[in-house]
Amino acid sequence: MKKALLKKISATMLAGVMAISAVGCGSGGNTANNSSAPADSGTTSSDSNTASGDSGDAESAPAVEGKDCTIGVAFYTDTGFAVDSTKAYLESLSDTLNVKFTYTVLTQTDEAANLTKIQELISSNVDGIICTMDLGMTSIIQECEAAGVYLGGYLCDYDTSYNTAYDQVFKSDYFVGSAVDGQSPDAVTIGTTMFDSLIEYNERNADAPITHVSMAIFPVWAFPTQQVGAEQFVAAVEAYNETAETPITVDPLNEESDVLAFAPLDTTYFAKHADSQAIISFAAGSAFVYPTMVQAGVDSSMKLFTTGFDGGEDVNFGTSGNGTYQQIMVTAPESITYPLVLLLNKINGVSFSDQPAEAERVSSAQYLVNSDEDMASFQKSCFFTKDAANAMYTPQDVLNMTAFGNPNATYADLKGILSTMTIDSIK
Amino acid sequence: MMSEKEKVTPAEFIKHHIYDIAAYAGLIVTFILFLIFSGSRLSYNMATVLQSASTYSIIALGAVFVYSMGYMDVSVGQQVGVYAILMIMITNAMGGTAAGVVVSFLVILVLALLCGAFNGAVAVWLKLPSIVTSLFLMFFFTGAQLLLMESTGTNSISIQATIKPADRGMYNVMLIVAIIITAVIVTYFFKFSKLGKYTRGIGANEVTTAQCGVNTTKWKVIAYMAFGVCVAVGSFIMLTRTGSAGKGTGSGYAMDIMICLILGGMPLSGGMKSKVSSALVGTFTYVLLTNDLTTMGVDLNMINFVKAIIFIAIIMVTCRKRDAVLPR
Repeated sequence: MKKALLKKISATMLAGVMAISAVGCGSGGNTANNSSAPADSGTTSSDSNTASGDSGDAESAPAVEGKDCTIGVAFYTDTGFAVDSTKAYLESLSDTLNVKFTYTVLTQTDEAANLTKIQELISSNVDGIICTMDLGMTSIIQECEAAGVYLGGYLCDYDTSYNTAYDQVFKSDYFVGSAVDGQSPDAVTIGTTMFDSLIEYNERNADAPITHVSMAIFPVWAFPTQQVGAEQFVAAVEAYNETAETPITVDPLNEESDVLAFAPLDTTYFAKHADSQAIISFAAGSAFVYPTMVQAGVDSSMKLFTTGFDGGEDVNFGTSGNGTYQQIMVTAPESITYPLVLLLNKINGVSFSDQPAEAERVSSAQYLVNSDEDMASFQKSCFFTKDAANAMYTPQDVLNMTAFGNPNATYADLKGILSTMTIDSIK
Repeated sequence: MMSEKEKVTPAEFIKHHIYDIAAYAGLIVTFILFLIFSGSRLSYNMATVLQSASTYSIIALGAVFVYSMGYMDVSVGQQVGVYAILMIMITNAMGGTAAGVVVSFLVILVLALLCGAFNGAVAVWLKLPSIVTSLFLMFFFTGAQLLLMESTGTNSISIQATIKPADRGMYNVMLIVAIIITAVIVTYFFKFSKLGKYTRGIGANEVTTAQCGVNTTKWKVIAYMAFGVCVAVGSFIMLTRTGSAGKGTGSGYAMDIMICLILGGMPLSGGMKSKVSSALVGTFTYVLLTNDLTTMGVDLNMINFVKAIIFIAIIMVTCRKRDAVLPR
């Protein structure tokens, strides 16, 4: 009896200690991260001068010091290069902008769970939220309106809300707009980008050009722009073939094998595309295509042009390793600057003189890496290194982009920076 | 009898009610922390706690019948997901009318009753632990949920009817009323009808209960069907929160309901100490705990970890049967 009682007491004590430890771990995280802000936060990079014409004025003290505030960031996943580099970038801004950041992860399939996550962020006294997912947005924006919390988007085109709940979301005073992961659905260029990369590859490898390709996309219901991109790619190839000496064949999309329902490519893909020399993957190729290529033993004989970067692709990129990867494409973590600045303006009760009446979704330029030189540049980026010291914008630059930190700052300048975040800007 | 009661010392009282005291103490502590850490967002947080707790509490109230027998149902989350999707599809197919909402609710109510009957009856007839039949239902409903969503060609679907008052205050009142009505009905059946008496008897000692002339098979089926009614009502309440559902709607509910009941002092092994109050006390403790951890600044990703530790600790402390750590 005494032994049983002792066991119960021990279990309770253990849980208590672990719970307190966990609380300690949780609250200590931000402090550690905040201390990693770069020491040269007062300097202004040349890139930012290009993006924000008034940054020269802002080398002096800012017009208004930003209020202490907290921004919650709701990611689509809890780890990976995009998430880690974005966190590193945000934490570097913390001291200069007087912002604390807190993070959570949303689900791609459960609106109620997402609403609860947003409610938890609001409960933790955030002043603004940056959300990377458009699921349950109508109820989420209602929640933000009720709590007086502003909401911005990042790495998301908010297409569902744009098409089905524009008035509730985009016209809401509490939605500031979104920086899209690449092109917004009404300005898709990914198909021609993929085509250009293929042609560049063929020009570099004139003795062994790729003349037969197949494609892979995610389901249309989840990523309609990928279907548009695939059609754009086919159209570009057809136009090219009209005058090309060596025409390129594109296998039409096969519903069974080429549309990946967020599951890895099936090995039957290669039987259905027996003559294909390269896969043009609009879906995230490193996670969903490359593993199957390795499994089927075709990673040395086939090339992969894809979006995304999960880490490790550089080893087999271009002329390195077995050279499977010939293109990767990612959005710079610094693009979160767009919703962040707009949120900070709202929180500080200011706005740009040219602020549009309704929230916008703005396309972001992407790091298009399709050569060894590009990869060398990419490896110096904040995205790859997860080090804010390599970010395009210093904390002072970002402060200069805000309406309270720089009275001459404009919305056009802020929007403009999203188009400058290319691989060339790293060089 | 009265004289015996009068002789109970405080130490003996505490010894006999230690689990209840612990459950209520947990609720009081989490509530005090809630008041302290909510700060300027107190009224907002109260509304969110109510919204989060409404679905859990209604389903947990129904689950009291099942858990009091020492049984459990792991399919509840998937059932909630499918019922929500079906309600949306049927309502939208009927033009988003009020009649559509009523018909869709009746459809899922019938489905929930059938599932309850299946869970209770098949387990007895096949002499299987009820968790096995509920596992079957869980996999069945997981597949059904995916197929239903695939048929829509979208990631989520929204109901075209208005099922939630536009005013947040009115909505909160609606939730409170729903919880109170469910609690009153469940309390009546659990405390003052044969259903509650027999389910507790089955949990305490099924053989003895059967030897007393109780048709345990019949009452098991009725208990599961009563749970089904609450699952249907809970699904509707959940749907009112977002007005939409998707492939993952309801995931995790089975575990959450179990945690709520255990936090409220419900013995996993069931029996005569099972109480309706466990559902409400546990649900609000659970939701307040989540809110407290959030407002206290615990990393949101660490909250599940903390909750898991508390959960396992409570199981170890409150399990009252030497040979029955898990429900049947």
